[in-house]
Amino acid sequence: MMGSDQAVAEVSSFRAKRHVPPSPSNPTPDALYWSAQMGAVSVKRDRASFMRIYDHFAPRLQRYLRNLGVPESMSDELVQEALLALWRKAATFDPARASLATWLYRVARNLYIDHVRREPHWLPIQEGLDRLEHAESARGDSQPESFVDQDILKQAIDRLPPVQAKLVRMCYLESKSHSEISAELAMPLGSVKSSLRRAFAKLQSNMRAPQ
Amino acid sequence: MKPNHHLDDATLLSYSAGALPAALAVVASAHLERCAACRARLLDADRIGGVLLQQQRVGAPTEHARAAMLALLDTEPAFEQETLPPDIVEEHQPDRLPGALHPWFGNSMRALRWRRVAPGVQRIRATGISGGDLMLLRIAPGSMLPLHSHGGSELTMILDGAYDDVLGHFGPGDVADLDGEIQHQPLTSPGVPCICVAATDAPLKFAGWVARTLQPLLGF
Repeated sequence: MMGSDQAVAEVSSFRAKRHVPPSPSNPTPDALYWSAQMGAVSVKRDRASFMRIYDHFAPRLQRYLRNLGVPESMSDELVQEALLALWRKAATFDPARASLATWLYRVARNLYIDHVRREPHWLPIQEGLDRLEHAESARGDSQPESFVDQDILKQAIDRLPPVQAKLVRMCYLESKSHSEISAELAMPLGSVKSSLRRAFAKLQSNMRAPQ
Repeated sequence: MKPNHHLDDATLLSYSAGALPAALAVVASAHLERCAACRARLLDADRIGGVLLQQQRVGAPTEHARAAMLALLDTEPAFEQETLPPDIVEEHQPDRLPGALHPWFGNSMRALRWRRVAPGVQRIRATGISGGDLMLLRIAPGSMLPLHSHGGSELTMILDGAYDDVLGHFGPGDVADLDGEIQHQPLTSPGVPCICVAATDAPLKFAGWVARTLQPLLGF
């Protein structure tokens, strides 16, 4: 892992400056580390690497699903299913397209909509959209997610004004619709949407840091 | 043919979060199928989800759960079977409805069985959708629709034909993602009927231009 970090530093000092290295106070492994683990799962079918991913992400997926109101027994099942999908489809993981966290987020979100919201057509549609995106990525048409972007995005989320941060969390972590948020906070629907729009614009500008 | 009118950022965020009511999500999916630009923005929205997932505060998994996971890997075949390709195609093809609409309306525009609901207006309503209301509308060429603003969320995608309003020209693939404050009065283009798919988030409570147009005529 340290070797990979040094490699990044040699390639681009600008990126290295923004990079937050793992340390005792910040022990979270970075996207580069997860990408390497995924490589081992995909190429060598390495179970130790798989279990490193499992140990880190399974509890996070579990918490995410429980927060959405998924009962414990079902969330256990969905977490297993998400990681089984990772084991099966490791070869389709493209670190240049999305980080492992983003990839797993999509898998868990899709399982939630399929199993809990019971929208039976969601999974095949997402698979179809994923294929289109894959083809674009292969043609070099898409914007890659660089390894440092995740840290910058994390800081940008932490810096959102309180109302915007609250709405983003209600949206993603409680899966509330605009109308539900509007009713719960007694906030006009138009204000809910415009706050979310402003939050997204801010976060997006941080994903497109000037090179 | 790239769309010129896109999904609102707030709609994309909600789609990414799995929080968009089902009817609106169908229309959003139909647009995403045609629009590479919105797919790229959706990936940005999913990245926010990825970071929020990373930030969840948690402990370590139990030994029991770890053992169960490893046991599951043993039951896996060495190679995954190729699944059937889903019906999602980016290119606009005459007569073909977007794949996201197939479960609700079939795949062929010509095969649709329209029901006349008002002079110059035909409709097919999707049945059995859980969140919100989803319908196809076919409006005669050169029609002016009476208009207004409204409260709820409404998403409309043009499938064939076109219309113009204060926001511009809307042709196949374009979406009108209106929030409650916008007033508009679509005028359908001459030549062919304007066929669109429209979704609202409030079942049985009709709001928006679709409803206001039809409400007095249908007695909702």
